[in-house]
Amino acid sequence: MIRGGRSHVSAPPAFSNDGKKLLVCTGNDVSIFSTSTGLLVSALEGHVALVTSVVVEPAQSPGSKVLCYCWTAALDGTIRYWDFALPELMKTVDIKFPIFSMVIPSLFSQHVGSNNSRPDLFAYISIENMNEESHPKALHGQVRKCNLTKSSLAGLVMKETKRPPYMCMSPAGDFCSIINKRKLHIWKISEVDGPGIAPIKIDFHHTRDLTVCAFHHTQKIVAAGDISGRILIWRGFGSREFSKGVGKRSINDEGERPGVRGEDDADSCTTWHWHSTAVNVLSFSSDGAYLYSGGAEGVLVVWQLDTGKKKFLPRIGSPLLYFVDSPDPLLASVSCADNQIHFLKLPHMEILKSISGIKLPAALPKPYDSLYQSCAFDSNKGLLALRTENYAVQIYSLFDDREVGQIQICERNHQSGDEITVFLTKIAISWDGSLLSTVEVRLPEEDLGGLVCLKLWKSDSPSNQFKLSTVIYEPHREYQISALAFRPTKSMVCTTSDGGDFKTWVQNDCKSKEEKVPDSGWICLAVGSYKKKPMTAAAFSADGSILAVAAATVITLWDPDNNVLISVLGDSHVSIKALSFVGHSGLLSVSGGSKPQLDVWSLTEFSRLWSYSLQVEGIACSDDPSTFAVLALLPKNGDNFDEAAFQWRDGVILVFTGTSHVPTATWSVRKAERGAISFLRAKPEEHILDGRRSKFLVAFVNGDHEYVLFDPFGDGTDEHGVKRLMDSSVEEKESFGYTSIYGNLKELEPQDSKSAGTGVVPTGKDWSSIFSWPSHDPPPLTKVCSEFLESLLERRQAVTGS
Amino acid sequence: MSLPQATSASGATGFPTKPKLKATSKATTQTPESKHLSSFKTRAITPNPFPSSIPCISFSPSSPHPFAAAHSASFSLFQSLTLTPSHTVPLSDVVSSLSFRLDGALLAASDLTGTIRVIDVKSRTPLRRLASHSRPVRFVKYPAVADKLHLVSGGDDGLVKYWDVAGESVVREFRGHKDYVRSGDCSPVDAECFVTGSYDHVVRLWDVRSGGRDSVMEVNHGKPVEDVVYLPSGSLIATAGGNTVKVWDLISGGRMVCEMESHNKTVTSLCVGRVGKPGRGDAGEEGMEYRILSVGLDGYLKVFDYSRLKVTYSLRLPAALLSVGVSADGQVLAIGTSNGNIFAGKRKTKDPEGSDTTGSGEVGIFDFGELPQARPKVLRPGSYRYFHRGQSEKPAEEEHVIAKPKKVKLAEHDKLLKKFRHKEALVSAIRAGDPEKVVAVMEELIARKKLLKCVSNVDEEEELEVLLKFLHKNTTVPRHAGLLMGLARKVVDAKAEEISTSEALKVQVRNLKRAVEEEVRIQEELLEIQGMISPLLRIAGRR
Repeated sequence: MIRGGRSHVSAPPAFSNDGKKLLVCTGNDVSIFSTSTGLLVSALEGHVALVTSVVVEPAQSPGSKVLCYCWTAALDGTIRYWDFALPELMKTVDIKFPIFSMVIPSLFSQHVGSNNSRPDLFAYISIENMNEESHPKALHGQVRKCNLTKSSLAGLVMKETKRPPYMCMSPAGDFCSIINKRKLHIWKISEVDGPGIAPIKIDFHHTRDLTVCAFHHTQKIVAAGDISGRILIWRGFGSREFSKGVGKRSINDEGERPGVRGEDDADSCTTWHWHSTAVNVLSFSSDGAYLYSGGAEGVLVVWQLDTGKKKFLPRIGSPLLYFVDSPDPLLASVSCADNQIHFLKLPHMEILKSISGIKLPAALPKPYDSLYQSCAFDSNKGLLALRTENYAVQIYSLFDDREVGQIQICERNHQSGDEITVFLTKIAISWDGSLLSTVEVRLPEEDLGGLVCLKLWKSDSPSNQFKLSTVIYEPHREYQISALAFRPTKSMVCTTSDGGDFKTWVQNDCKSKEEKVPDSGWICLAVGSYKKKPMTAAAFSADGSILAVAAATVITLWDPDNNVLISVLGDSHVSIKALSFVGHSGLLSVSGGSKPQLDVWSLTEFSRLWSYSLQVEGIACSDDPSTFAVLALLPKNGDNFDEAAFQWRDGVILVFTGTSHVPTATWSVRKAERGAISFLRAKPEEHILDGRRSKFLVAFVNGDHEYVLFDPFGDGTDEHGVKRLMDSSVEEKESFGYTSIYGNLKELEPQDSKSAGTGVVPTGKDWSSIFSWPSHDPPPLTKVCSEFLESLLERRQAVTGS
Repeated sequence: MSLPQATSASGATGFPTKPKLKATSKATTQTPESKHLSSFKTRAITPNPFPSSIPCISFSPSSPHPFAAAHSASFSLFQSLTLTPSHTVPLSDVVSSLSFRLDGALLAASDLTGTIRVIDVKSRTPLRRLASHSRPVRFVKYPAVADKLHLVSGGDDGLVKYWDVAGESVVREFRGHKDYVRSGDCSPVDAECFVTGSYDHVVRLWDVRSGGRDSVMEVNHGKPVEDVVYLPSGSLIATAGGNTVKVWDLISGGRMVCEMESHNKTVTSLCVGRVGKPGRGDAGEEGMEYRILSVGLDGYLKVFDYSRLKVTYSLRLPAALLSVGVSADGQVLAIGTSNGNIFAGKRKTKDPEGSDTTGSGEVGIFDFGELPQARPKVLRPGSYRYFHRGQSEKPAEEEHVIAKPKKVKLAEHDKLLKKFRHKEALVSAIRAGDPEKVVAVMEELIARKKLLKCVSNVDEEEELEVLLKFLHKNTTVPRHAGLLMGLARKVVDAKAEEISTSEALKVQVRNLKRAVEEEVRIQEELLEIQGMISPLLRIAGRR
């Protein structure tokens, strides 16, 4: 069983001390990526719920930079201590409350007196306490202190909020803060920390809900962003409250504190407003001269702190979530909502590398919701093609759990804030994975300029990159395309439309001309319709000889080569949503709407074999002729089952074999709505489950694009039976001199290294031509000799870069 | 496997608006040759056409290749550099054929009385009068090589005569044709051989040395032969008759090599010309290839590549064409029509020396080979070019190239769209004038849901006029009609007030209305035609 497709952006990542690794919270694990290659190096596995924060223990001296220790906190209520170089679990602290955020300020504060006995390590955590009676006002979120050395939770509750807040800490470790609606609470961490000592707290008030805050590295400056896009900067905060103990007393004078609200403890407050939506990202640069901010616009803004001048990194393509500084002043990372983490080269604001997780599902506008299709499978290579928000298709490898490539379908940039007016509706991959077909829809503005566009892409085999082959504007006049299907044996695509016709498209191979153009376009081969009924689904049989098209409530069978109607099957009351062939003689049809139904038809008898009343989300048929799987939603209002018994699983995968109506295997899954399933052909050598080789796996992608690959007839216990391929061999190397400036040189390998073993091959002139001269008139010996010797030499081929 | 880096790089770029792709057919792409030939920009060079047809055009074999065109009872000499007539020489009767001597100093002109006059080109004085034909003479030709003393003529009396020009006497008379002799050509390799074509469908090859009455060889074209030319090798001839052009191999005994049937009416004239760009130095000869140029009564000029058996270029002119000629260096093309026009075109040359000799009429002053070749200069520090040296250097094959990031060029409207100045972007795209781009900008605005807002923001009268003018021109273009018809309606609805107050806008709206009415009429006619055709198709489908 392989799980994957987890979110990389559920929590802020953390850099290792040398800046060469990035620790990313991915579901229940912490994945460690190399910053130079962007590839997965290793993973910390142990938590049993979502990991919410990771804190790398900073290096106290330059020599200890190689040390790789980190603390992680998770929703399972444990804090764990790891050596992530190995990786190895070293310590577990059980809190018993789900932890939503954790900071450990004392790791960062400078220990002046370096006595041998290190003081106890305290973490400030934000937990959720669901204990009802102790909190009548339903303040579930608590900020508490935890002694990590003694593994105990301090009794003191520092703050209670409705929801567990996100904890923020100053880089020097002397302040930590939370945001509570329109207030910002800041605590000063005292030098000598103890379980009973309550830190001093100050509050800042604002008129809008705050979203994020950040501390300056050296000065007493705190910045906060609000939901309207304003950035507030308080300078010299806490000069009154925090210095009380020392005995100084500042003068409370309203005139000297411009912009500061009421009794808030700061010298001045400035407001910057550029963002149009909520500020999600705020971070001071390590030298303290700049402030980075970002939001849903997908633009990283760099503010010069003294002057307020701005610089931008636009078109990142997705709302920004986190900005994390690395110990290396040139490197930072930006996490985006589309599950990507970009590494930035800071002074240039240039994206060096990206870690791309699986893209999140992209919703369609309401009236087009019936066209929703989240992904398409390439069952041979184990690839998944996903629609993304920014008008692209992501090709994701399910076996390797990483992105293989991305294809920009429309040349458009992501613009937040605007309504979606252009979107992809359908994707299909041909059976050999070399062709891709997409449908995009542009919405009209008051019935003006709407467009449906069918695009066909072709991959050139070596680099596996898809190139645009043909664009077809309005393939079915103004009607939407309801289904898209590739023919298994030939390059043929079938599109069906609501306008009552379907078309088959073939590659125009230019038979009339003598020179065959390899990259020729596609043309329409045939148009068919059945009683002007809207066509809703299409499928080709496995051998490609039959095309089944659903005409609203009936299934029509066609000969795709000659475009002849063969037969018409059945008549149901609701329109058919999906079709699939089972083996050689079966046909599967799925109806949606108010009376969802799953039917299995026999093509030999042209009759219905059996049917279930199930709301089916996805169907998949294997190459093994008799097995198919159905992803069905459990009925929501059913009285006869207990939801808890299913552990909030809302869907089942039923596997049927042959024509029997009794499922041979049943799996219950979570988040089945808008999910998809497919059979994948297992890679022969790498994916042996339980010692025996399974011929195929079932891939289930849920509504959040998390996926699992499993053997449908296994017992499911082999959760970690198959490990992901770790690219530990791709260890980063420091590049020096020429390489660091110009990149690696091309490998100039002599091409003839193979032939060296077999001896010299005379590649020059044929001997018969060298020695052919009239016997009475031989050429001069010098000429013959040089030609003869030349023929013995190997001809060295010109080296061409691959 | 591709690293995710590639995708992130594309994520940080802007996309300029692009028009919708247009279906292109492979056939319409221009080959280098057709590009070359269309660069001649053939045009009528006679300001007022001659009163009668142009039966013959002849180019001088010597540089700068002036040409002579016969019209009515006179002929005109034209400068090939300026394509202007320099002199008109009157003769006694209708001129049928012209031929320059191989050095270009003399010109022979035949007329319908049966006489041939030999004229000095420079002074335009008649030198000799050759009179022996009893019927109109239809062709006269000087030999193309080595012989300046004789010429060949043929006429409607069916006789071919070989003349001694100086003595004004017939050296030899060839009998064999049974009908009018209308054409002939002298061999480009042999001064003693020539071919003649006659209306008895036969083309005969004659040799002066044979002395016999009979021709050396004959080939039957199958139609009355209008023209015959030698191809430059001297072993092939091309004949024109009916609407076909045939190429014959003389060496192999008169075998037909190929047949071209690309005209729909009678082919009236043939010539052989060189096409292609003359290269520098010795490569000049190889860069140019020979083609057969044929003109016909259908008004087409066809260029035929006889080595690949393919028509490489075709030009339609608005009259029946009677004669064609190409200068020996392939720089000038001239075509004579039946209504007295002469169409001529000249290849653009970049030689500044060419203009020096205009109108001088002197012969053979071009000699590029003698010009001293400019040696590559050694650059000295301190000069401007020194600091730019090596910038246009091409990398060798195995050298590692560090690619520069490609700069995205943005048009004016793209820059404005980037700044969200939508109305300015729309107006600037319309002013730039490419309807494809305007529609692309409109589509982009629709994607931003801003098009109608833009239209309502167009408030200056001048901008509105530009918009209406654009709509008038393009609303009925089928490619854009789907979008623009709806837009035109909305614009007129939204701007009714402004339009009613301005006279200029009223004119535009009137134009728009006329265009729409025109389109409606066309659509109605098309529907009628469809109504007529569809029953026929249905009947055809039943069979």
